[in-house]
Amino acid sequence: MSDKASPLPPPPPPFTAPAPAPRRPGNPFLAAALAWLFPGLGHAYVKRPKTALLYAVIVTATFLLGLSFEGRLYSPEPGQPLTILATFAVYGAGLLNIAVRFLSTNPNGSILSVTYEYGCAFLLTAGLMNLLLMLDAYDIAVGRKR
Amino acid sequence: MTALASVLPADHFLIMTVYALLISLFFALLWRSGKRERVALFVKLFLALVVGALAVAWLMYPFPK
Repeated sequence: MSDKASPLPPPPPPFTAPAPAPRRPGNPFLAAALAWLFPGLGHAYVKRPKTALLYAVIVTATFLLGLSFEGRLYSPEPGQPLTILATFAVYGAGLLNIAVRFLSTNPNGSILSVTYEYGCAFLLTAGLMNLLLMLDAYDIAVGRKR
Repeated sequence: MTALASVLPADHFLIMTVYALLISLFFALLWRSGKRERVALFVKLFLALVVGALAVAWLMYPFPK
């Protein structure tokens, strides 16, 4: 047995009140769903009207340019597995894609057109950009992004 | 829907530049929050896309189809 007294335990940290949870600007799933429906709608829902408008202009312009270049709105084809990914990307554009499929006389584009490949790239990009906007609107609604 | 295409001629460089412009704008808005940071990222992305595409085209030029 040693005569030395055991060292005192460190004092407990001073009490601090927990930081208040960041206030959520909205339901994250609703924000993501609205963002899918139309570009920028999710950001408008989480109270970012200026960026919502800019996103709407950019993504819609990209989509319409893709259509005007006679690009293709992909659908899955048997024996062509990459068309599944392309379909997923194009469906990211939400109502824009669905409306054009119903309204357009030529949703498959025109493969003989000089600008066909550009059109496909623009359409796929518009869908993928809108998918990113869905994630962004979700993150803002959760409070993960300011 | 071909009305927009008639406004924009089927010039490869012009279409590529418009594409780079839209992509750069989108990601500058998405990835940065301050105005100056957004402008800086936009310029960087736009130049990288256009100059990069020209560089790749120049490298491919000696090779026939």
